[in-house]
Amino acid sequence: MTRSHNPKPVLILIPVVACLAVLFYRYDTDSKTRHPNTHQGSAPHKGGTLVFATEREPLCLDPHVYGDMPQVYIAEQYLDRLVSMDEQGTIHPWLATSWEIADGGLTYVFHLRHDVTFTDGTKFDAAAVKRNLDHMVDPATQSGTAGGYIRQYTRTDILDPYTAMVHLSSPYSAFLNVLAQGFLGIESPAALARPRDVNCQSPVGSGPFIIAHWDHQSEVILRRNPAYAWGPSTAQHQGPAWLDGIVWRFIAEPSVRFAMLQAGEVGVIDSVPPEGETPAKANPDVSLLMADRPGNPTNGTLNTLRPPFNDIRVREAFIRSADIDGALGSIFFHHYARAGGPLSLSTPDYSPNFEHTKDYDPKRANELLEKAGWKDRDSEGYRLRDGKRLTVHIPISTVLAPADRTLWEQVQATARQTGFDVRLEPLSETANIARSDAWDYDVRIGYWNTNTPDVLRIVFGSAFTNHFQHGIHQNASGYSSPIFDGVVEQALATQDPQQRKALYQQAQEIIAKAHLQITTYSQTTRLGVFSNVHGVRIEPSLRVINFYDAWMTP
Amino acid sequence: MTKRLASQRLISRIGLSLGMLFASATLTFLAVRMMPGDPATIILGGAMANPTPGAVAAITKEYGLDRPLIVQYGFYIWRLLHGDLGISFSQHLHVAEVLRQQMLPTLALASLSLFLAWALALVSVFCTVRRGRVLSSLGASLDISAAALPPFWLGIVLLWIFAFRLHLLPPAGSSSLASLIMPALSLAIPLGGFLAQVTRESMEIALDQPFILSARMRGLSMGQVLRRHALRHALLPGIALSAWALGALLGETAVIEAIFSRKGLGRTLVYAVSAQDMPLTTGIVLFVTVAYILASLVIEIIHELVDPRLATSRRRSASLWL
Amino acid sequence: MVITPKKLIAWEQLPIAILFASGFLVFLLVAAIIPNAISATDPYAIAPRHAFLSPDWNHPFGTDQSGRDILTRVIHGTRQSLLVGAGAVAISFSGGIILGLAGGLGPHWVQKGIGAVIDVLFSFPALILALLFSASLGTGAGPLALAIGIAAVPGYGKMVFSQVLSVRHSGYVEAAMALGHTPFAIVRQHVLPNALRPLIVTATMGVGQTIVWAAGLSFLGLGAPPPTPEWGTMMSMGRDFIADAWWLTLFPGLFIVLTVLSTTILGRFLQRRLEGRSS
Repeated sequence: MTRSHNPKPVLILIPVVACLAVLFYRYDTDSKTRHPNTHQGSAPHKGGTLVFATEREPLCLDPHVYGDMPQVYIAEQYLDRLVSMDEQGTIHPWLATSWEIADGGLTYVFHLRHDVTFTDGTKFDAAAVKRNLDHMVDPATQSGTAGGYIRQYTRTDILDPYTAMVHLSSPYSAFLNVLAQGFLGIESPAALARPRDVNCQSPVGSGPFIIAHWDHQSEVILRRNPAYAWGPSTAQHQGPAWLDGIVWRFIAEPSVRFAMLQAGEVGVIDSVPPEGETPAKANPDVSLLMADRPGNPTNGTLNTLRPPFNDIRVREAFIRSADIDGALGSIFFHHYARAGGPLSLSTPDYSPNFEHTKDYDPKRANELLEKAGWKDRDSEGYRLRDGKRLTVHIPISTVLAPADRTLWEQVQATARQTGFDVRLEPLSETANIARSDAWDYDVRIGYWNTNTPDVLRIVFGSAFTNHFQHGIHQNASGYSSPIFDGVVEQALATQDPQQRKALYQQAQEIIAKAHLQITTYSQTTRLGVFSNVHGVRIEPSLRVINFYDAWMTP
Repeated sequence: MTKRLASQRLISRIGLSLGMLFASATLTFLAVRMMPGDPATIILGGAMANPTPGAVAAITKEYGLDRPLIVQYGFYIWRLLHGDLGISFSQHLHVAEVLRQQMLPTLALASLSLFLAWALALVSVFCTVRRGRVLSSLGASLDISAAALPPFWLGIVLLWIFAFRLHLLPPAGSSSLASLIMPALSLAIPLGGFLAQVTRESMEIALDQPFILSARMRGLSMGQVLRRHALRHALLPGIALSAWALGALLGETAVIEAIFSRKGLGRTLVYAVSAQDMPLTTGIVLFVTVAYILASLVIEIIHELVDPRLATSRRRSASLWL
Repeated sequence: MVITPKKLIAWEQLPIAILFASGFLVFLLVAAIIPNAISATDPYAIAPRHAFLSPDWNHPFGTDQSGRDILTRVIHGTRQSLLVGAGAVAISFSGGIILGLAGGLGPHWVQKGIGAVIDVLFSFPALILALLFSASLGTGAGPLALAIGIAAVPGYGKMVFSQVLSVRHSGYVEAAMALGHTPFAIVRQHVLPNALRPLIVTATMGVGQTIVWAAGLSFLGLGAPPPTPEWGTMMSMGRDFIADAWWLTLFPGLFIVLTVLSTTILGRFLQRRLEGRSS
């Protein structure tokens, strides 16, 4: 039996091979026809679409909802805020032209710009301010960040169309600082009127770019807002953005992102991998743009509620057993500086006094452990007390970046020499959260980015321990000190910058002496920029990428 | 008689398909809800977030997480029966919308991989089977070696060679055809090795049949014998395995899509599982099940077309299913 | 020219291949049981100053991001990887036998029911099933083996089921039943040996496949915790550095390839031997 249409697999292959050949060829020519760099430092050029490759995709484009860093990166491009913050930490007008603080810091009266329009045509006014602040604190918004930062907010009164009076339940001197963050960006009230999950997909702001389309798992397309005329004073120019648009692409693999930048396939990348920094510096087509983020640096917080870290001597011994400088050198090739104190270098009111109070000192660690009663060692060299081994349990979430994981492996290795049995326990993120909620850890790994020293209150204040009960708690150490609480409360109540600075100095000292965290390095923004892209700026409040002033050589 | 048989077959086939879908939904629901941790906390950003207690309570209520598990399950199945896959906890989108957005790149990758796997397998078998001891040994060893390659490892090696060293192919992306080549090859080469092993074995059995010898005696060339007579026999086992292979490919896209930064269901699934996003996880698993059911149907039809014993084919292929 | 009807000796039956395969597996067994006999270095010992050394005489496979010797880690990772592979196969093997025997020997409705259950579960891509299970069971080698083992049960079950069915209707079982042998004796003497024979082959090859799955899940972060020397975990950690330090990923992967290759060759060899004996 024969049929005429017998399959001939070899013949099938011919078109396949031909297709492949064409593709190879096309790809190759693409990379060759790229224009060489011809920038002479001239005036910004209008036009062009920039491709930006970023590590993570936001879950929702509205930064009020949830509130993770990828959301604020993109919010920075399409949302404006009431106020802006400069490099020195000074607050400047933006959508609010001026403000008065009254009632001992309980009310803020904002006078607003009259000329601002959201990109859906809605006018910006006092009602929009009210709608936004109400939206952030509304439980249905599911806000993990913005709402949490303005817990003191009670209500907004509309005094006239362009004057809003905001009431707080207690004095909150960090209020303007947090209003300068992208998380608290002002959205169109008309857009906010839609269901939350719809607004997540296509939020509307008044910023220099407009969200045009979100292709999930792939990219967000932004285009220029041609009517933009209310840029902040921290920007380099006024009027609409130079770029026609931005392709905001999600590429999780750091090595891939970096390879694409080196090939010029993308104009800008974020989270430049540490191993890429040396080749980047050698590559004339690539420049690096870096900034430390303010807040509580990347750290492991020690749980003081249970042994062994309920003993301050053991806490200090553990901190001094960890060779953080050595680890940072090998993992990050000396590109990341050690953060020694409870605040990152770029946080307002940062004190440099604590940069070396936590340095690696195994000798002191051994002495402290002897004093604390951990005298014996078992056959494997781990310290014992009453026959029990000096064990430290550290849950490691699967979402923790590999470099951070390696850092803790090195802590494990160096702490072993002073006799700590450090157990790195890998968990899914959900299991990790469950362990955290149950206070079932000796060290919790984390960081907190915010542009105010008030972060100390969130991370170490007794109000954030959830009463030591099961559940979310921002204060991971379980530290509870009325003196410390008093100092940070006072700092929130004062409007005098000098007095506030002194109070935060005191707060940093209390925390440093309590030995609550192994601080490792500051969170950083690390951008790689290809040579045809200019004017990329790092916004000061949260050190987030900003494309408003960016332009490309044609 | 035949009519009754056909309708019987149809009914039990539909029953089996529905059973599969039901089992998919139930298994996935249970697996996701058995995971440790509280979805409400995850939705708000995990242990590091700063939500107010009100926000946690609102989420728990919105997604019914405070109700007993059996009630949640009942509600979920009830909605599924009405064709409502629900809303993804984490992506703030209807699950159906996520599927619509993510399915094409994954289906394209899986089907191109299956196609390439078959092409590679057939080339290997055709070029080497019974072509002398050296060549056939070489072919067989190539098959086995290819089948031993873990797809994700192969993917990384290909990425390193073709994107990082030779700069021939883009290391990431999901829009261009060129970006499909490496991911597809990473999946196709191991599967091709597997299909080639199966096909080679049945080809050898077929070639030992008396009718092949007589065809050769009639003066047909080896190539003609292979194409006209042995091929049909040899293809059947591989074809029967193809639906299963497609399902396995859909599973493996999870890793491959991550390596090549492609959009698609596999990556979404891994994400959904890690976020304990029950509606999304279940939606994707259901989708894969449907894809498998449809692929089985298509494969069965192909099987019947290819099977030379047409007279008995209906009963045979039925026995594959029932 | 007439083709000789005699079967050619297949490549994998050549002594060299068998020698290679069994040699490598013996090597792996030694590495799994007494890793220090092959490499006495501590697989956890870090040397930050020696991070990312490319392969050379001192470190034939190079070093990783913490300066650990990759060769040492690959050797010491054998135990973990083989345990997961063998553990998962043991689970799916026994699960498959129970399911298959129950289905194949039970009354008609049980047969139908279990047949349908096996068919339904078999349709699930095992990797997706394993992904779901391991996410609910937690991370680590034990849960990983359990997750993959359970995920592979339907495959083994399907095989035993069909074997048992065909043996059950074979002449000698029917004869034994006619002679009044107890069902237990029939199962033990006739059904099990015949059903198990192909299964042993599948299980041998399955160890390799299982290691690949386990590595895949480890790769997604669901496997053994880093810095545990486990092949999949090592590759997963190395992936970030692929552009500059390919050896972190290449060598653990190569060991997986060689393991799968060896089990396949041995499995097929076993298959031919068993087939030869049974005919």
